[in-house]
Amino acid sequence: MLDELSAIQSDALAAIESIDSESTLDEFRIHYLGKKGRLTAAAAGMRDVAKEDKRAVGQKLNEVRNTITGLIDSRNVDLAAKKDAQAVAGIDPTLPARSLPQGAGHPLSQMLNRAVDTLHQLGFAIAEGPEIEDNWHCFDALNTPADHPARNEKDTFYFDSGKLLRTHTSTVQVRTMEGAKSLPVRIIAPGSAFRRDEIDATHSISFTQLEGLYVDEEVSLADLKGTLEYFFHSIFGKNTELRFRPHFFPFTEPSFEIDIKLHAAGKSSRWIEIAGCGMVDPSVFDAIHSQRKDELFSPDKVSGFAFGLGIDRLAMIQHGIPDLRLFSENDLRFLNQFA
Amino acid sequence: MKFSLNWLNDHLDLTDLSVADIDDLLTFAGIEVEGIETRGADIDQLVVAQVISSEKHPDADKLSVCQIDAGADSPVQIVCGAKNYQVGDKIPLAQPGCELPGGFKIAPCKMRGIESNGMMCSASELGLTDESDGLMILDTDAAPGTAFSDIITSDTIFDVEITPNRPDLLSHLGLARELAALTGRELKGGIAHYQSINDKCQTAQSSDIDIQATEACPLYSGHFIRGIKVAPSPDWLKEKLEAVGLRPINNVVDITNYILHQTGQPLHAFDLAKLNGGIQVRYAKDGEKLIALDGADYPLNSSDLIIADGEKAQAIAGVMGGEDSGVTGGTTDILLESAYFAPSGVRATARRFNLSTDSSYRFERGIDPVQTLGISKLAVDLILELAGGTADPETLIAGQVPTAPADVAFEHAACHRLLGHNIGDDKINNILSSLGLEADGNNWKIPTWRLDLSRQVDLIEEVARVFGLDNIPARTVGTYAPASKEDKTYAANRSLRDRLVHQGFYEALSVKLIAESQLADDPATAMKGGLAPMRIKNPISDDYVYLRPSVIPSLLSIAKHNVNHGSSALRLFELGTVFSATPKGQAIEQSSLGLLITGDREPASWKKPQPETLDFHDLRSVIESLCPGQDIQIHPITPQPGCHLALAAQIRIGKSKAGICGQLTPARAREIGLEAPALVAEFNANTLNTARNTERRFAELPRYPASTRDIAMEAPAELPNSDIEAVFAKIDQKLLESFCLFDVFSDARGEKLAADKKSLAYSITYRHPDRTLEQAEVEQAHQQILETLSKNLPVVFR
Repeated sequence: MLDELSAIQSDALAAIESIDSESTLDEFRIHYLGKKGRLTAAAAGMRDVAKEDKRAVGQKLNEVRNTITGLIDSRNVDLAAKKDAQAVAGIDPTLPARSLPQGAGHPLSQMLNRAVDTLHQLGFAIAEGPEIEDNWHCFDALNTPADHPARNEKDTFYFDSGKLLRTHTSTVQVRTMEGAKSLPVRIIAPGSAFRRDEIDATHSISFTQLEGLYVDEEVSLADLKGTLEYFFHSIFGKNTELRFRPHFFPFTEPSFEIDIKLHAAGKSSRWIEIAGCGMVDPSVFDAIHSQRKDELFSPDKVSGFAFGLGIDRLAMIQHGIPDLRLFSENDLRFLNQFA
Repeated sequence: MKFSLNWLNDHLDLTDLSVADIDDLLTFAGIEVEGIETRGADIDQLVVAQVISSEKHPDADKLSVCQIDAGADSPVQIVCGAKNYQVGDKIPLAQPGCELPGGFKIAPCKMRGIESNGMMCSASELGLTDESDGLMILDTDAAPGTAFSDIITSDTIFDVEITPNRPDLLSHLGLARELAALTGRELKGGIAHYQSINDKCQTAQSSDIDIQATEACPLYSGHFIRGIKVAPSPDWLKEKLEAVGLRPINNVVDITNYILHQTGQPLHAFDLAKLNGGIQVRYAKDGEKLIALDGADYPLNSSDLIIADGEKAQAIAGVMGGEDSGVTGGTTDILLESAYFAPSGVRATARRFNLSTDSSYRFERGIDPVQTLGISKLAVDLILELAGGTADPETLIAGQVPTAPADVAFEHAACHRLLGHNIGDDKINNILSSLGLEADGNNWKIPTWRLDLSRQVDLIEEVARVFGLDNIPARTVGTYAPASKEDKTYAANRSLRDRLVHQGFYEALSVKLIAESQLADDPATAMKGGLAPMRIKNPISDDYVYLRPSVIPSLLSIAKHNVNHGSSALRLFELGTVFSATPKGQAIEQSSLGLLITGDREPASWKKPQPETLDFHDLRSVIESLCPGQDIQIHPITPQPGCHLALAAQIRIGKSKAGICGQLTPARAREIGLEAPALVAEFNANTLNTARNTERRFAELPRYPASTRDIAMEAPAELPNSDIEAVFAKIDQKLLESFCLFDVFSDARGEKLAADKKSLAYSITYRHPDRTLEQAEVEQAHQQILETLSKNLPVVFR
């Protein structure tokens, strides 16, 4: 009996070598372990074994069964691995990608989104106004004298009706205050503005602006400074140097221009102008006040700050874009750089 | 405006400050420094020299050997590479021992074997300009050997932008006064302006000076000086004018220019011999003309203030004098005008003639009226000194000195409030006093030159400006702002953009003005009864005449640009405002989304060397992907003649008209350079966003299996699929869940199918929500559908 078991074991060890498929492995299993298999048959002979030998034979029987089971299991693993390898044979993962259409948002949209997100964090809501405007909303209400050069037909696009294409998004300040139901007014207005300019690397007839306005009781220059510092540090990084340079705008007083320090590789760093801002001029509140005929924007009661940013300029600085015309040309090779 | 540092130093000692310090000082005072230029060079061994001869170098084509007179007994030999000089020209010569800016030391040397004893210099080599083209040719009478620093004094010129609210800074005295306040220095001579100097004035007879327009000219003064000698100005005066970019003319004219740049008061000198009768300050008569000093002929009208004699116009008041009565070499007697003209009139006339002179620039912004008479005296004294002659003892004046600015009430607390920081009352007082304001209780007396200070907030601005925002702590306390309707629109547009970008679209942003020829690219022209586009009254060029009624014209021109640069597979979109006008001329602004697709469906690759070409059905899948789950219908329309669509259809979402889509005519596509079909669609973005943002409701997931049956039918080739869908939509069969067209077959040669037929195969899905379907009921439902289809459509089942 022991000899028989040893023979089964050595036969199995020899036979397993040539097993190379799941079906032959299954035949192998049946041959040894199946109902009519050799080991099953041998086990049936246990009852004929002498009592004193039963223990030794039983041990041998287990040993042989474990051996064969082990052979089957490990061959199973080998075969599975072989099958997996076959499934991916011939694939060269270093071949170039099969290209998907890529697509990209316009860099100005992307910059505008960043700006709007940052100002949303600061609790500003978006407001809008028409791009075709009248003189009152574009100039009169913003304390721009009747003979101010900006109102000239040389500088501003007009329609036969006397209406015009807004020269700044500050018109939305006026419209928002005209319609506001309560204080505070805390808005941002992204949109197009138009100037009758010759088109070159730094001038365009239209550009994307973002206007901001905060009006309440006791809004101060400190609030203006805090808001814009937070904004520019969010956009350009915490270590960006900013300066507030006194300036003049008809609709704010005091007024400032904001410069940021630009460090370009290989050049000496320089300050570049990036935004205009200031405290809303009381004459703007006067205009709103007399238009509304109520006390909500009475110049004695409210104060506020306003700012205007050129999204084009922010994007040019952010990405090192040298020429404004690239934005309106929409060359795919350009757009792809911002995908 | 240009300021000379030397000139400023005449009024205020700034010698301890570096150029960078002054740059900063100006910048933080609100005076933008646009450029800083160095004039002259104080360099040892740099002299004026004259070229005596120039011959080609025997061994070098690009070099010349020059003999130079540098003031010594014998000429100096110099080898030179420049070409822009002629024999006789004077040039700056750096002699041995000279050290040029940048540390370059001049020593005798040999160039290609020929001795050279110095270097003839260009302006950039002397550090005067960043770049220069060839040698600096000197226009000077100075003898060879004169030190260079003797002919052009070393100076720094600041080119600054003075904001329109600060006309008081448009002079050297004015800027010096400001810098004195900012640095706590004293002006030299202690005068802030010249208001009290002229005590010799006499009211003019109206036969001498007659102001007929007192509002436009409240004050006019004239001073007669006789027997002068017009001659070139002395060097110091020429140098001052040249430093600020003016060309010296003669002593009298130069003095008026000098005084203007010194004090901000424009002056004019008339040649008395050319005047007939007394001065009249009046509006011009329509049709009156004046040939001005610039030689141009100005047609005047009754809105132009002029200075006339008894006969005719002699000057455009505050803008420019007449050629006729201008001071020339032969002038001996003059009338010197010093006047105050009101800003608005000068501005209107200067603008009408598109003429900005140093004089009009200052009058339109506002001069210090209190200085006017004092400065007349100053100028008279200088004319007597430089041109001789005899002046009348008194200045004749007409009109009155305009009243000084009113006092301004000021509350310190209001200032602290607006700054958001209590900087201390004393600090405020110090700042205002330094600027020349005087406190009188809560009222502050305003200096006569500060026309911009009339309200409390104007004074607060001064405090903020001088104190600086740097010194005010930032605050970021804000109140919350509820999301607005526009916030929601912004978010909806952003999600629309993102969806398209993720589908491989590129976002375009274009100028909203288009050419007239682009109007026909508007897909809406495919339909009758469109709105009128809006035309600009004063377009800047033919390319930008109309506000775009559609974004498609822009997308097509962008397509053309990209085709020209090698990309003909395009997926482009633009989301933005489009404009039109109602028949009554009311402007309509709408938010519009335009799409353009054309070319290969995917980039060619080793995996797919020849990708399929995008067609109308691809456009349709994009359209449907924008509104998943919505009822989107395409209703074909017959394009109007002349429009650029060969195929056009209206897009509806539910019952709303949402837009238009189609395929460009091959002719238009070819103009753009496109071989493949070009597909466009344009949506009203608000309609689209409303549909996209419909509230979603959960629907129970199916729990029982569906059963599908296929049908194949033969239909006339021209039967539109929408007719079949319409019949399906009307079938009242609860088990019908969905249907799907999975095959369309036609045979142009008529072999497998008649050429005027097509074969369509639909897969139809049946399901009961509450139980598994039985074979028989599916059969019954299917029969009902077949019957309905065949009853309502010219189809035969195969």
